[in-house]
Amino acid sequence: MALMCGMLWRLLLVLVHVNRALVSWLRVRLRSWKGRMWERAVAALLLPVALVGFPDHQKKLNTVRNTGANANTLPASGTSTHRSRCLSDGRSLEKLPVHIGLLVAEEEPSYSDIANLVVWCVAVGISYVSVYDNHGIFRKNNSRLLEEIERRQQKFLGGDGSKHNVEFLSNGTDKHHNVVSCRPTVKVLSPEDGKQSIVQAAQQLCRSVESKERSSKDISVTMLDILLRESKNIPDPELVVKFGSVNSTLGFLPWHIRLTEFISLPSHRNLSYEDLLGALQRYSACQQRLGQ
Amino acid sequence: MSWIKEGELNLIEKISANVLKAGPMPKHVAFIMDGNRRFARRNNIERQEGHTQGFNKLAETLRWCKHLSIPEVTVYAFSIENFKRTKDEVDGLMELARQKFERLLEERDNLEKHGVCIRVLGDLNMLPHDLQQLIAKAVITTKSHNKCFLNVCFAYTSRYEITNAVREMAWGVEQGLIKSSDVSEPLLSECLYSNNSPNPDLLIRTSGEVRLSDFLLWQTSHSCLVFQSVLWPEYSFWNLCEAVLQYQLSHKSIQKARDLHREHQASLQLEADRVCVAEHLQHHGNGKPADVQRRQEALQHYTTCRQERVQDFLKALKHKRDSYFTDLCSDGVQA
Repeated sequence: MALMCGMLWRLLLVLVHVNRALVSWLRVRLRSWKGRMWERAVAALLLPVALVGFPDHQKKLNTVRNTGANANTLPASGTSTHRSRCLSDGRSLEKLPVHIGLLVAEEEPSYSDIANLVVWCVAVGISYVSVYDNHGIFRKNNSRLLEEIERRQQKFLGGDGSKHNVEFLSNGTDKHHNVVSCRPTVKVLSPEDGKQSIVQAAQQLCRSVESKERSSKDISVTMLDILLRESKNIPDPELVVKFGSVNSTLGFLPWHIRLTEFISLPSHRNLSYEDLLGALQRYSACQQRLGQ
Repeated sequence: MSWIKEGELNLIEKISANVLKAGPMPKHVAFIMDGNRRFARRNNIERQEGHTQGFNKLAETLRWCKHLSIPEVTVYAFSIENFKRTKDEVDGLMELARQKFERLLEERDNLEKHGVCIRVLGDLNMLPHDLQQLIAKAVITTKSHNKCFLNVCFAYTSRYEITNAVREMAWGVEQGLIKSSDVSEPLLSECLYSNNSPNPDLLIRTSGEVRLSDFLLWQTSHSCLVFQSVLWPEYSFWNLCEAVLQYQLSHKSIQKARDLHREHQASLQLEADRVCVAEHLQHHGNGKPADVQRRQEALQHYTTCRQERVQDFLKALKHKRDSYFTDLCSDGVQA
């Protein structure tokens, strides 16, 4: 009986895996199909004759679909129109997170895909983007990721890149950030920024109790929150997009994700702009009641 | 409706339960029982009735968990933020809690038979005094039961819990039981309300919301999170099976991440001890550089002392918490 159940269980797991693989395969197929649609649309646009009979709504439909394919290939020319398209996409959403967390829960992260994601997030109008993986790989290869982001951004923005350059925060003690700036900020996070930073704040408070500066009764949620905010310099993330099949936060800033919405995508590899936009649209549909 | 729902699973459910049990099962499942009010609105019933049905669903879910051999369940019953709701609704929820804890005391024999231990996590001081006493009584009567555990988070938020843990550690420092350098991740975990439980393996939130809403933020950092769109009063055995299956799919990777975290934590502790020893040697070593062996001995000695200190502190903390409950209980007897 036990053996039978064990076999059935294995079969069940295999079925679920097959199902998942099928879904992601369909996703990719669907996208390439959309890409071809776009090519056709461009071909149609090149022929003025074909333009005459083109129904209006279909054109609109095609523009929407373009976004995905366009972003994926990052064409060398016409980048500024692409940026403005991202911006208008951002504006068309009912709400946009101020801080988005990109949580990579996959083995062997891809720097170029993450860099693309960061650039798109910034282009849509998100002010803070943080990148996290639980092995601390991005933290260890901080400069490599940031270089990659910079390169993508140059490519993406073309000439007027200087104006929208992102600012990088490599560690919390970066004081120069306190200067008010409206530049988007990218931060690379690792597990040490999570529980460990709470422990450090606790130690700090305990030291002040040890030296009789403060009584244990004075310690409050706001006090701890201020301490933790200072070390991070960024607001709590409103949205975390998690990549990978593991359904877990894997130690992502436990204190700061109190009201964070979690949206899960199967992988960050070969992710299109459209996928990201889809996640943002889902976020913009979420309502929070804050206990009420 | 009582806390314990008797009854067996039907044949198909039993087979599915056995199939699931062939894989790794979560030892501890946490629930955010969301959607009672939406359920009431949708079915045109009183809001309070929605909450009552939500409670009944809890009793049913506990039965399923028992059949799936899940020994521990934690539920989010009432958040500190919920005090912001209308007075009417808050009073209604308090009244519901009063009824249910009274019912629990009436059912104590049945609870003993099933070995159900009930714990309440949260700051009881925020509740009406009579409810505090009822809760204290319920907790004390079921304290020694050890077959299944139900943790009810009441007047709880995770940030408050973490802050409270920091406060307790600061209290330990004030009392001279520990030093501020003894503060570590495992110690903080031990000071949380949930210190008697292992971290949840699986967290389930119903009603389609995709956030934690200040629930077990610390404890679920390596748990499987499952968000389901069904409203809590409509939760079914199959929804639970689906969530468990999700856990089983993520199990290996989560286990790996947990091991990695544990290793990292151990190395951090060692490093912290080293720093403390080095400081100590510098102060008391007459300026002479210590040799390797002496360093090693000092490190060992320091580690043992620290562990003893921490153990004594935790004992004192446990005593403090236990006496809070017994005091509440004896207050009730005198009154």
